[in-house]
Amino acid sequence: MDLTPSPDDHRFRQRARDWLGANAPRHRAPAGGAGARQAATAWLARCHAAGWSGLAWPRDWGGQGLSADRLLIWYEEYARTGAPSPLDCTFVGLHHAGPTLIALGSEAQKAFHLPRILQGQSIWCQGFSEPGAGSDLASLRTSGRVEGDILVVNGQKIWSSYAEDADYQELLIRTEPGSARHRGLSWVICDMRAPGITVRPIANMAGETHFAEVFYDDVRIPLSNVVGGLHNGWATAMTTLGFERKTAAMALQLDLSVRVERLIAEAGAAPGSALAETLADLRAEAAGLRAMTWRSVLREGGTPFDGSLVRLTFAELAQRVHRLAAELLGPESLLQGPVMTDYFESYSETIAGGTAEIQRNIIAERILGLPREGRA
Amino acid sequence: MNLDLSDEQSQILDAAEALLQAEYPLSRLRSGAAEDLTRLVEFGLFGLGLAGEDGSDLLTEALLHARLGRHLLTPSTLAAAVAARLAAQAGDDALASRIADGALPVSAGVATGGDLLLCDAPGATMAVWREGDTLRWGPCDSGAAAPPAGGGLPLTRTPRPAGAATAPSAPWQLLVAAQLLGTAEAALDLSVAYARTREQFGRPIGAFQAIKHHCADMALGVAMVSAQLDFAALALEAGQEDADFQIAALARLAPRIALRNARMAIQIHGGIGFSDEADAHLILKQAHRLGQLLLPADLMALDAPLTPLNRSS
Ligand SMILES: Cc1cc2nc3c(=O)[nH]c(=O)nc-3n(C[C@H](O)[C@H](O)[C@H](O)COP(=O)(O)OP(=O)(O)OC[C@H]3O[C@@H](n4cnc5c(N)ncnc54)[C@H](O)[C@@H]3O)c2cc1C
Repeated sequence: MDLTPSPDDHRFRQRARDWLGANAPRHRAPAGGAGARQAATAWLARCHAAGWSGLAWPRDWGGQGLSADRLLIWYEEYARTGAPSPLDCTFVGLHHAGPTLIALGSEAQKAFHLPRILQGQSIWCQGFSEPGAGSDLASLRTSGRVEGDILVVNGQKIWSSYAEDADYQELLIRTEPGSARHRGLSWVICDMRAPGITVRPIANMAGETHFAEVFYDDVRIPLSNVVGGLHNGWATAMTTLGFERKTAAMALQLDLSVRVERLIAEAGAAPGSALAETLADLRAEAAGLRAMTWRSVLREGGTPFDGSLVRLTFAELAQRVHRLAAELLGPESLLQGPVMTDYFESYSETIAGGTAEIQRNIIAERILGLPREGRA
Repeated sequence: MNLDLSDEQSQILDAAEALLQAEYPLSRLRSGAAEDLTRLVEFGLFGLGLAGEDGSDLLTEALLHARLGRHLLTPSTLAAAVAARLAAQAGDDALASRIADGALPVSAGVATGGDLLLCDAPGATMAVWREGDTLRWGPCDSGAAAPPAGGGLPLTRTPRPAGAATAPSAPWQLLVAAQLLGTAEAALDLSVAYARTREQFGRPIGAFQAIKHHCADMALGVAMVSAQLDFAALALEAGQEDADFQIAALARLAPRIALRNARMAIQIHGGIGFSDEADAHLILKQAHRLGQLLLPADLMALDAPLTPLNRSS
């Protein structure tokens, strides 16, 4: 084990810090609407022009091919600068769909989509969850009927983040008639402008609107849009979810340490006070989360499920940090403002991308080897 | 940069684990007798800090102490490891090697009022102890046996020596925290093993989600402390600026997680967990003991490594 940065690492950190300091927007982007898309794509374009986009993507596809330790350094500086959260409308393309295409897409799919994603020219969303298939994703029912060289899709997805802005969707559907559970699914590229698609935005508890319900009524999708093989969508979807746990999660986890420091600076707690003790706990746990984050990307081996340990630690710590920030506002917490928006938004941390309960099941069953749940 | 164990580190840890499993079963703790450290002396455990610049590797030593913690070894292991290092640093090589060779047993303890409570110290003449937020070391008088709460390794009460030397706290904190991590791991392992075998309502209790989620929580704590231990040891070893911060964060996390895991292990065992016959209570008591040895860490007085950058310019 060795965490001593090389002179090159130091230079890289300084370069990242300088560039971010000079270029990152100073103001918080609008949370929704056209302004949000514009802010997100403008920031991505700016990163791209300076060679700071697709950091984890291979060079062959326009990325920077950075090693894991350089990514850690970049995202630490990113967080310290207070640069825009990577959880905007460019997120699914950069961190989900793009990496999935790189791993499993055809040459034609890669050549068409990857440059557009990287430059912020196309926005992607994810269509996995359905009203009847949340935690139990494998029970999904939206269907794709093969008719010659096209799929005819019918059904409904829900909670699809940024669906309203999106040009494309990574869509998980049942393509093999009569199939059950994980079999017979396909992961397809769905053009969000195709006839038969209806998007109904849903506001969240923070009053923001960045997810939506999507309805499919005889939507025709070319078979050539399938990624990773017809009826093999579960494997492709697992590949997608695996990427989510890496780079994007890393950014958010490291950002939490900086948030805790901002909170400590703002709180001005008297030494030895109950508040100082609470803040010290958050500070220690944020340090622990940072160490877990580094370890999750700088250590070989482990199980494919170890990401759940970091993910859940992050989710629950983030909620406590935002809750305390909100409490410290006192009566002002009844009014609208960024602290309260972040606080309400933080309720999603233990729901989106696998609930806290599901993560605990995964840890207990897949990492610790306790008996699996009975399944219907 | 990487966080992989080297082959050499893995070999040392595997060898230690094999020795601990063969020679130090938890059942030994039921006798109430003092711990026999001969086999660990032969293993070279207490000479690790003496090997000179190249060989001294705090991380490997910390990982070894985590293994000792798993097997609930006496805190004298901490005292010997740290005292040998202190003696060597003070230039007293003869003393250092007598400690490393086991010829001079050293005990760990904590000051209370005008006394010193020493863990597992029959006949000890030297000790390392916590006095408030200071670490001290030096000769001590052998005292009288004091009954430990709830049984376990013997305790000794002896007058607190006056004018004892202070010692730097960081390596002590690191190794005590490593042993606390070991107790947290022991609690998790014991609980998972029991949850797989104990059956109620026709299935292993580990099939019930309440039990699963307790175990998952224990694993989350272990994952955090163990990652932080690596971070703190590497920072201290390399003399990095944030070493004090990393140690203080570790010292805040380790006892909490160790105690929480021990409490959960008792609950997961049901009635037998409350009895003297299961090992769960031994883990709890070890966590309490180690917790007393740890110096209070003022994490808020230190600068964090990841601070927001001021962009007012
Ligand atoms: C902000 C946000 C963004 C999202 N973005 C997307 C997106 O872009 N694309 C997409 O496809 N989906 C998205 N989702 C959906 C998300 O993946 C689901 O909400 C999540 O998987 C949970 O499913 P559910 O909402 O149906 O809850 P349910 O599965 O109905 O869960 C309800 C409750 O039951 C518990 N529960 C369920 N099963 C078990 C079990 N086996 N053991 C114990 N407890 C259980 C859950 O933990 C939860 O507490 C998003 C969700 C949020 C909140």
